[in-house]
Amino acid sequence: MTPAPTVPLVCYQVLAAILFTIGVVGVLVRRSALIIFMSIELMLNAVNLSFVAFSRQHASMDGHIFVFFVMAVAAAEVAVGLAILVAIFRNRDTANVDDVRLLRG
Amino acid sequence: MEWLVFIVVAVAAIGTALGLVIRPNPLHGALFLVGNLFCVAVLYLLLRAEFLALAQVIVYAGAIMVLFLFVLMLLNLKGENPLLTRGAAKGFGILFAIVVFVELLWTVLSPQMEGGMAASPTVPTGFGSPAAIGRVLYTVWLYPFEITSILLLIAVIGAVVLAKRKFG
Repeated sequence: MTPAPTVPLVCYQVLAAILFTIGVVGVLVRRSALIIFMSIELMLNAVNLSFVAFSRQHASMDGHIFVFFVMAVAAAEVAVGLAILVAIFRNRDTANVDDVRLLRG
Repeated sequence: MEWLVFIVVAVAAIGTALGLVIRPNPLHGALFLVGNLFCVAVLYLLLRAEFLALAQVIVYAGAIMVLFLFVLMLLNLKGENPLLTRGAAKGFGILFAIVVFVELLWTVLSPQMEGGMAASPTVPTGFGSPAAIGRVLYTVWLYPFEITSILLLIAVIGAVVLAKRKFG
């Protein structure tokens, strides 16, 4: 058995909340599609940290499995999202989300 | 000792996250995000999730961020102009973010969470090791795992189709 953690779970949860909020600010305030994507990664990471902390606290591997799946889905999301970004940049010559507000090309 | 590591890494994580949101250059943002991912990987190690810490560095900081940097170099973006959204949208954005933060803190610090916070704090040796993850992943979670591979295949095909030169 490993010794009990000295840092309580609530510290990890508060840190995850702070990181998630910074990600939310990035998505809402920045205009570059790339920065918005990276902020989404930041939010996913904050939630992953929360999962791992709970997993540690309950001595259960299920949180680790969920983080694994989140990583896989994030990889898929980034691949498709960046491809969309490249396609938009090729057609519109911009990566600013304020310039891409119509659904039709 | 654990407290020292936690506080240093937590401050670094918050600092790099703020750097990502504040710096105008997307390239700096990408490097700050790599730093943030490393900080979170260290926290995973503190939480005895060795496999996830390594997967974080290899998959996120390695593969995904390289993809970001490729696109950055490919598009040759010249900073944002203007950097932030205009007036009202910016104010509302920060307001909503504060609301989200208060809600999250409310949830984390609420008395109902006490039960979840006070569960068994010791784990068996080998917790979070690749062997332990594999044992669960290939038995209980076998079908979700296989479906994930199909999802990744679809994503690869979708990315190729989207990024291809336009028809004609």
